[in-house]
Order: sequence, then structure tokens, then C-alpha cells
Amino acid sequence: MTENPIIEVEGLTKTFGSTEVLKGVSLALERSQVTCIIGPSGSGKSTLLRCLAFLETYDTGRVEIEGRLLGYVEKDGRRRPATSREISDVRRNVGFVFQHFNLWPHMTVMDNVAKPLWLASGFSRKEARERALAALEKVGLADKLEDYPAQLSGGQQQRVGIARTLAKGPHIILFDEPTSALDPEIVGEVLQVMRDLAEEGMTMAVVTHEMGFAAQVADRIAFIDEGVIAVQGAPRDVLLSKDNPRLVRFLKNFFDRNVFWEN
Amino acid sequence: MNLDFSIFTDNWPDILGGLWLTLELWLGGSVLGMVLGLTIATVRQYAGGVVQRGIAAYVAAFRGTPFLIQLFLLYYGGPSFGLVLTPVQAGLVGMTVYSSAQFIEIFRAGFQSIPPGQIEAARMSGLGRMQILIHVQLPQMMIIILPSMVNLYVIMTKETALLSVIAIPDLTAVLNGIGSATYAYAETLFALAAFYWILLECVTAAGRWAERKVGRYLVR
Amino acid sequence: MSSLLSEALPVFIKGLEATIFFSFGSVVVGFFMAVALCTMRLSKSTVLSSIAAVYVSFFRGIPLMVQLLISFYCLPVVGINVSPGVSALFTMAACTAAYMAEILRGGFLGIPYGQIEAAQISGLNRFQILKEIEVPQAVRLTLPSLINEVVNMVKASSLISVVGVLDLTRAAQNVAASTYKPLSVYLTAGILYLAVTSSIGALEAVARRSLKTERQG
Repeated sequence: MTENPIIEVEGLTKTFGSTEVLKGVSLALERSQVTCIIGPSGSGKSTLLRCLAFLETYDTGRVEIEGRLLGYVEKDGRRRPATSREISDVRRNVGFVFQHFNLWPHMTVMDNVAKPLWLASGFSRKEARERALAALEKVGLADKLEDYPAQLSGGQQQRVGIARTLAKGPHIILFDEPTSALDPEIVGEVLQVMRDLAEEGMTMAVVTHEMGFAAQVADRIAFIDEGVIAVQGAPRDVLLSKDNPRLVRFLKNFFDRNVFWEN
Repeated sequence: MNLDFSIFTDNWPDILGGLWLTLELWLGGSVLGMVLGLTIATVRQYAGGVVQRGIAAYVAAFRGTPFLIQLFLLYYGGPSFGLVLTPVQAGLVGMTVYSSAQFIEIFRAGFQSIPPGQIEAARMSGLGRMQILIHVQLPQMMIIILPSMVNLYVIMTKETALLSVIAIPDLTAVLNGIGSATYAYAETLFALAAFYWILLECVTAAGRWAERKVGRYLVR
Repeated sequence: MSSLLSEALPVFIKGLEATIFFSFGSVVVGFFMAVALCTMRLSKSTVLSSIAAVYVSFFRGIPLMVQLLISFYCLPVVGINVSPGVSALFTMAACTAAYMAEILRGGFLGIPYGQIEAAQISGLNRFQILKEIEVPQAVRLTLPSLINEVVNMVKASSLISVVGVLDLTRAAQNVAASTYKPLSVYLTAGILYLAVTSSIGALEAVARRSLKTERQG
């Protein structure tokens, strides 16, 4: 833990209307580590992840991407909201994979991956296509370049989503329940891609219910409950812990269904 | 820019006359068009292929051509086949026929929204066509087609502005005439715009009131 | 009758060209205005949103005829001296912009917000998101209504004859006046208008069908 973390979170709070969803979250996402964030519905885990990408604003606290404050600009001890250009600049190296893929339906698979590269990331069209092709090969969809999202299965669409974010060369990828919207038999293909990425050393933060993945692939697991990180540590420590009764009750669901096979 | 409002007070009777005529032609044309449209749409349900195609052609013709051309045909072309109308008569007939074509489509959609099974049940219960229309179809259709009908009434208010072109002394003609005579274009035209805007607000308010009333009837 | 037609035909053609030019021209100009209006309407700024709302309310609430008269008579008073054609074109564009803005609004609101987030995360700026993600999809979603608006514009274009533009209606009026055969002349004009609106209407039917199958697929 001596290197600077890619994303550092300190004292994050977030209120929606009258509900305080995040009540002071602190977290460090280290280089090449896979962090899985687990917790019951409504615990705030998706909100936390979205705040890390500033897809949601946060009220107090700090989110720093490679040392730079995200979402706000501080000057003389005062803080003002950052402009969208400043935000884009700070989160340039952050990738995001959405639960519902969010592919653009009117563009082909190739365009979904390549267009943002030459529109926003400053690559030439040729470079963009090359990078896109490489990313799509990596996720196993090089044969679907000219297809439209509607012609693909859910698992394929999510893999395109992963390729889209991979292609821009991020230093960290945030996954927001990447398999929750998929049919059970397709979940595996996406998890495999994520495993491969982890093995190659990609820094990842994954909000997920897939305990098997968390148990086998994560370097650290954080359990969020009622807006705070109640427990965090190595997978074995967290998943087998008996200290936190709410965690134990939360995990009971998964133990009962025998989700862990190689613990 | 000095605004001179004396032109309104000086020409009060003419303006009032034009305003009244505009309202009469709008309401008369739209209501007659609605009745005509309902009649044709009802007949269409029970008619054979030839009649249905004829009605389709009628609808296509009056929905696909400009209202102005239709007015010219009636007023200037009418005498060629023995139809001599005064400008006002031509205006009324024109508004009626033009709106009827749109009303036919609205009622057609309304009729289609009622499951055919209900009509069959009504027939088996011995109801005649008129009774089916009044007791089974219209009550259910009303809430669905009311927004489109209100919208059509609104559209017709705006079409009245064209009537001045065939020498009908409606509000547009009167105000434009005053404007041309006194060069007080800004005052007259903005008054005209204000009139139409007020009429629009009234019609949409009436529409909302009607929707509430009909909705309550249905809830019971 | 045939000699009448052969003499009148060039006049009709000229009028038809003008009608098509003004209808389609105003739709094209109006479309860009409509996108801008829609952006304003849906923006978080209440000032921009209100301005757009008032604009739409005015141009949809007042008859096009009155708008054309205002442009024709009042613009010179404030120093804008353009030909009747130019003022008519921009008045029509301003009018159709209001209608199209309302149509597009539904389209914009129908785009799942997640796609915009994905674009933001991919680094696209506001203008790029509008151009690449929002407008194509809003248009796709509302295409039948937009095409219907084109048809409305073709019919509405007949009004420019009143403010001195030589369109198909004015051409017909001229021919009718010189040949004393109003019935055949206006029937011909009507048929020409019908031909144009029917072809565009056929496009609308095609668009409607492909939208349906896209939804189901």
C-alpha cells in the first residue's frame, strides 16, 4: 500500500432529497488491484461507484483521481463546482461499465467503440479504428463489427460496453453491477472477460452480487451497509468473518445457495 | 414607435362585426364539420369497398391540399358547375368540408379503439346501428378522441385567418384593411395576434374542462 | 383545353418549384432552429427554458397568416428591408421551428439517460453529445411526425401567395384570371399539391412502419 492509489476517497457524503445515502465513505483503490464492493440493495454501493466517476455529484468529502480532485475546484480553501471540461479532464483515465450497457443503438459496434476515440480522445480515425479493433478482439467480438446493438445478445452488448471503455486506455475501470441485467447463462462470458482483465493487471472496482467472482478474483472486498463501509479486507477475511452480524446475515443468502465453490 | 389606439375606437363597429363573423365561421364550420365527419365515419363502418374507397379519396383530397385552394375552388370555381356562393357561404362550406375530412380520421381511430366483440354483443342484444353508436361507441370513444378533437378546433381557429382572402369581411380582413388605410400596421396586426391568442387560450381551457367532465362520467 | 394547358404549364411549373423551394427550405432552416429551441426548452436554466416556451407558444398559437402579415408589413417599419420571399421563408421557418421543437421534445425525452452518461464518460462534450447521440435518436423516434410537419408546410406554403410570392397558388390565380377557367385551373393546382403531399405522405408511412419493426426487433 505504498504506491499512490489511483482513486482515493475521503469522507464522502451524498444525500438524495431527504435520504442520506452515503454517510462518510473512505476508500483507496490501489494500482492493479481488483476491489469488489458488495452490500444489500439500497446500501449505496452503486451511488458510491457513480460518485467515483462523478456521474452523481457528492456533497462533502473528496474523490481524487490520481491525486486530482474530481468534480470540484479548490482555491484558497473554497470549493466551486468544476466545469464539464474540467471534469472530463480529471476523469480521462477512468473507465465505466454500466449495468444496462448504454450502447448507442443507432451506431454499429465498431462505431460505438471507435467514435468516442476520434471525437473526444483525440485520436485520428485510423488510430481510433485500430484501437477499437484491438479492444473488440480482446473481448471476443471482432466478427461483429458492423452489427447493431439490437442484433446482439445481452452478454455481447456488455462486452462491447467493456471494449468501448477499454479502447480509451483507462488506468482504472469501474463496473456497476455489470452482470445484473444478464440472463444467468450469459453471465459467465462477461465475468470471464473481467477475469482476463484482472489477470493482466487492470485496476478494477466492481459493484456486484457475483460472490464467486468476488471470492476468486478480488484482491479486496468492501462491504457497504447503510451508507458506510462496514467491513473491508482480503476476500477470505471478509467473506468468512463472523464479526459483523449484518454482513453475516447478508452473506448467508449466498452461502445457502452454495455460490462459493473454490473458497 | 408611437402606438395609436384611436384606430380601434374609431372603427369599433366594423371590428366587432369582423370578430363576430370570424367566431361564427369558426364555430359553425367546425361543428358542422364534426357532424358531417361523424356521419360519414359512421356510414363508413357499414359500407362496402367502393364507398370506403370513395371516402378515402375524399379524405385524401381535403387533407392533402391547401385550404386556400379549396376555398378558391368553391368560390371561384363553383359557378362553373352551378354553385354560386357568397363569400361568407363559401367560407362556411369550405370550413365545414375541410374540417370534416380531419374529423373522419379522428372518429375512425375512435371506432377502431373499441373491441369488435362489444359491437357483436350489442347486435345480439338487438340494438340497432344508431343505438350502438349512441350507447356503446360514442361514450367510450369520447375520452380517447377528445384531445384530438380539441386540437382540431384549435387548428380551425387558425384557419379562419385565410377567409379574408376570398373577400370575407372577417376580423383579419377588417384589421388588415384598417392597417392598410392608416399605415397603423403594428397596432392592427398585434391586435389580431392578441385576438387569436386569447381565442386559443379559451378553446384549450374549454377542452380541459370537457376532458374533466367526460372523465368523471367514465369513472362512474 | 390542351392549348390552355400547354400555355399555362410553364407558369404552373414555376409556381410548383417555388412552392417546393419554400416548403423544404423552411423545414430545413426550421429544423436547426427547432434543435436549438429544444435544447433551450430542456435546459436547466429557467430563463432559457421560459424563452423557448414563450416562443413555441407564440408561433404555434398565432395563425401563420397573421405571422406572414406581421413580417410583411411590420419588418420594414423596424428597418428590415428584405424581399417578400426572404421574409416569407424565415417566417415559415420560425413557425415550423416551434412545431418541430414540440415534436422533438418528446424524442429527446425518450432517449434513456444512460446513453448520455456513457457519452459523458467517453469524454464527449455537450455539443458532440447533442450531435452524435441525441439528435439522431430524437429524429429517429419522431420521424413520422416530422415528415407530417413537412406535409403541413407544403400546404401552409400556399399562404405566401398572399404576401406577394409567386408560388403555385399565386401562379394558379394568375392563370385563372387570364383564362377565365377557374375550375380547371384550381383543380390542376390541387392535384399538383396532392401529388407532392401524397409522395411525402408515403414516406411517412414507410417511416412509421420501420419504426414499429425497429421497436419490436
